[in-house]
Amino acid sequence: MNSLDTSIVIWLNGLSGNIKIFDDLMRIVASDYLMPLVFSLGMFGLWFSGKTPAQRVMYQLTMLVGISALSISNVVVWLFNITLERPRPFVEHGDQLNLLFYPPTDPSFPANPVAVGFAAATAAWTINRKFGWWMFAAASLFGFSRLYAGVFYPSDIVGGAVVGIAIYGFTTYFRRFLEPMITSFVRLIRGLSAA
Amino acid sequence: MNTDPMVVRDLFAGHYFLFAFLASLGTLQIAVSNAGTRGLWLTPHAAMTRLLGIALILTAIAVFFLQPLWVDGPWAAGSVEADSLSRDWGKASWDELAGARNVNDIHGGLDGVKQTGWFSLAATLALAVSAIVGTVSVKILNVADKSSDVDVTDPNVGGLEGLKNRSYFANLPSSLRNFRNDIGGLWRDELGKADRWSVVRMLSRRGDSSK
Repeated sequence: MNSLDTSIVIWLNGLSGNIKIFDDLMRIVASDYLMPLVFSLGMFGLWFSGKTPAQRVMYQLTMLVGISALSISNVVVWLFNITLERPRPFVEHGDQLNLLFYPPTDPSFPANPVAVGFAAATAAWTINRKFGWWMFAAASLFGFSRLYAGVFYPSDIVGGAVVGIAIYGFTTYFRRFLEPMITSFVRLIRGLSAA
Repeated sequence: MNTDPMVVRDLFAGHYFLFAFLASLGTLQIAVSNAGTRGLWLTPHAAMTRLLGIALILTAIAVFFLQPLWVDGPWAAGSVEADSLSRDWGKASWDELAGARNVNDIHGGLDGVKQTGWFSLAATLALAVSAIVGTVSVKILNVADKSSDVDVTDPNVGGLEGLKNRSYFANLPSSLRNFRNDIGGLWRDELGKADRWSVVRMLSRRGDSSK
């Protein structure tokens, strides 16, 4: 498994350096700022997108669950990180990789940005399939760009995706333990004319 | 060369806030133009509001990623390949522009928590700007949708539903009034429907049994 992981990242990263514009595009997509903002904006936009009061409440409750899932995903990824402490590909195979990104100092498994992206995408998908698929595509592209840049193994990306989706499911289930606080919070925001 | 992480962080915070604000404003305009929430439109027409939203998002991305061309920062020579700590301070070249923003948070980039904070502020500001400009549209340009089934005079209509035909500031009193009138009943209803393991339900039962 490890050797397959290594072979894939070395092969994929080996494609870099041939088409500069593609490398530059991957550097921008892999940035810490673009895709995380896209996920946040997706959730922010959905909050205001409902066309009827009932649809709006459903969207907003789902977005609150999604935001909670993002936070919990970070904690779960951190727990995996400190337990497994898997080194980054450029640490183990630096001589065979062309690093397109700054060398992160935290462990590799699972991929935190992918977990966050998939948690947000799952939240969006549960209320709007079409938009949700676009969010999944964005999260996958984000993962691919980090893989191409040589900072994650493929199994880190898959692990991150699984963590993100699973945490969203867990958070949806967990919501029932916090009612009626969540619904009342949405009602409070509606009182401020923002929900 | 200046590699003090605090200096880099301040620079990034300002740039990121502008990026998040413009993109949030654009996203909000697309969302409210689709939902028909006229009280938050920046222009009197849905299609124009949507186009403005797209333009704002594209502008936000362009400004953020092109800014290193004209603003000094940790993205001069070596921004593409080097560790972010060993970069030169100055303006980026076109060749190194794509990697210019890739600065590790330990060297002054923004970590997830800081991004969340700045994004929350930017999104709130975007909503405030939309509410103020939307008020001008509704009050002065009188763009309220006469064909809408939302009754402007109905005091029970509040929240975003009320914004379909009212300005934010005209809608706020009825929204707050509805909240005050409804919250007690809503809390009791939702508590009744809540899961038996609901934390609030368990606490309220414990409170009842101790009386």
